Amino acid sequence: MHNANALPCDQIQQALYLYIDHELPSEQEYWSFQIHFKECPDCAAVLVYESNALSLMQDLLRGSCNEEAPQDLHERIRQQTEALAGQTQVQFFSSSTTITNFTFDGTTSIQVTQEVTHEIRHDFTEGE
Amino acid sequence: MDANQSELAVVDRSAESAAQKKARFERDALQFTNQMYAAALRYTKDPHDAQDLVQDTYAKAFVSFHQFEPGTNLKAWLYRILTTTFINTYRKDQRRPQISDGELEDWQIYDASSHTSDQGRSAEDVALDGIVDLDVRAALAAMPEDFRMAVYLADVEGFSYKEIADIVGVPAGTVMSRLHRGRKLLRASLSEYAKERGFNRGGDNA
Repeated sequence: MHNANALPCDQIQQALYLYIDHELPSEQEYWSFQIHFKECPDCAAVLVYESNALSLMQDLLRGSCNEEAPQDLHERIRQQTEALAGQTQVQFFSSSTTITNFTFDGTTSIQVTQEVTHEIRHDFTEGE
Repeated sequence: MDANQSELAVVDRSAESAAQKKARFERDALQFTNQMYAAALRYTKDPHDAQDLVQDTYAKAFVSFHQFEPGTNLKAWLYRILTTTFINTYRKDQRRPQISDGELEDWQIYDASSHTSDQGRSAEDVALDGIVDLDVRAALAAMPEDFRMAVYLADVEGFSYKEIADIVGVPAGTVMSRLHRGRKLLRASLSEYAKERGFNRGGDNA
């Protein structure tokens, strides 16, 4: 392999979470890190330490943040979905889809067009 | 990912009936209720608000469900609605500053994390065995919101940096720095809890 110590230790340790989280931007960087760990016992030890500490913390977090929703909430959401399903049917039909059907079946189209005139009451803009 | 789901991915959603959409929503989206409730508890720190937040999230999700691209990550899509709703509604209600009393300023966190990131890493970091759920929840709740969200979404939910960036609405680089610093902060705080409980035996940092 070529130039094993291309990356200095401080750079490796700074980006350690990226390595552990599999968030390094390229395969090539994984290789560079792996080569470095092979040749540098200090960094290899830090990697083991940090990986262990992180998985311990993740286990603790997952083990304590797993509350179940009250049964009542499940029920409310189910009812809400029922209610909204009755109300917002119209949103499935955009005017463009009506037009494609037009030449085939005029009557169906007219029915759909009537539905489109309903106002959409629930407005959600995706998180910009 | 079952056969039905991939089949639906090819079907024109505009041709899907209301009943089909509802069924798809109930089957695919409602399974995340418990998980989102736990996340909402981290966001709101209040069981009633958390329930309302999850319910609102599902209302918005159902109404916008036609915008969801089948086959893409539904959980991330739901969490984005959850998070946006929290930020726009619940947090606005409280009118609370990003960093409030008892929480740390950025530079303090930076300072605190530098103690644990260099040679001075001590045994206390890993000696967290005796810690209880309540400690973990309290430590998480005491973190500044941005850090708490990043840590929760990455370390509990397993989202990637890019997914978190989409969910929270900030660049991936920001997610990265919040997550890395949040972890160090949380680790330091957990070791304090461990110490207070007297579970910290220390000394075996091999």
